[in-house]
Amino acid sequence: MKRTIELYGRLRDAGQGSVLRAELPARATARQALDALRPALGQDLTGCVLAAADRVLAPSDRVPATGRLAVLPPVCGG
Amino acid sequence: MRRLTRITKAPLNLARLCRAVASPSHGATASFVGVVRAVHAGRRVKAVSYDCFFPLAEKELARIAAEAGRRWPAVVAVEHRIGRLAVGQASVAIAAGSAHRAEAFEACRFVLEEIKHRLPVWKKEHYVAGDGRWLPGCSLKRLRP
Repeated sequence: MKRTIELYGRLRDAGQGSVLRAELPARATARQALDALRPALGQDLTGCVLAAADRVLAPSDRVPATGRLAVLPPVCGG
Repeated sequence: MRRLTRITKAPLNLARLCRAVASPSHGATASFVGVVRAVHAGRRVKAVSYDCFFPLAEKELARIAAEAGRRWPAVVAVEHRIGRLAVGQASVAIAAGSAHRAEAFEACRFVLEEIKHRLPVWKKEHYVAGDGRWLPGCSLKRLRP
């Protein structure tokens, strides 16, 4: 399935800007989705997580079929 | 009901936050304001850009404030600013009101530390020398269910 993935922080400097259009495996888990995105991002995704609009997905969680999807690198608010 | 947490592009208003946590039963209000500083790790900084995954950040900030209210008998109001901020501008403001100073100080400190570890916000320093870099941070893996 083709999805729009939002990118934040240092991932915005990976050459894709703030969004990436990518093909994810059908019924992919979050871990599988991150693996599928890694080549396009060309960055080490250590410490990154996949998030839906209101929650961080566990590696074994299925990627929701609809709604916002984002890759979040380690955070540093404040 | 007053809204006590907010992610905003607007300048922060600590006085408004202090009023929001005021109560006749409170003998203490502790506050914290984080501002962009001119030097970091030996490099001269001219600005910091704050990036944010808005829906999750709003929810997480509300969760942090609510957790503080469960840990201490305190009411917390907190705002985090996003966008490009110049040196001296405030990026985060926290007010904690309580009957006594100890829990107000502790709640205020707790909220700041949790923001640094849990809030989906990122900052990029812009240097006087012309370049910039995203700062390292804490993985959100600990937030996963």
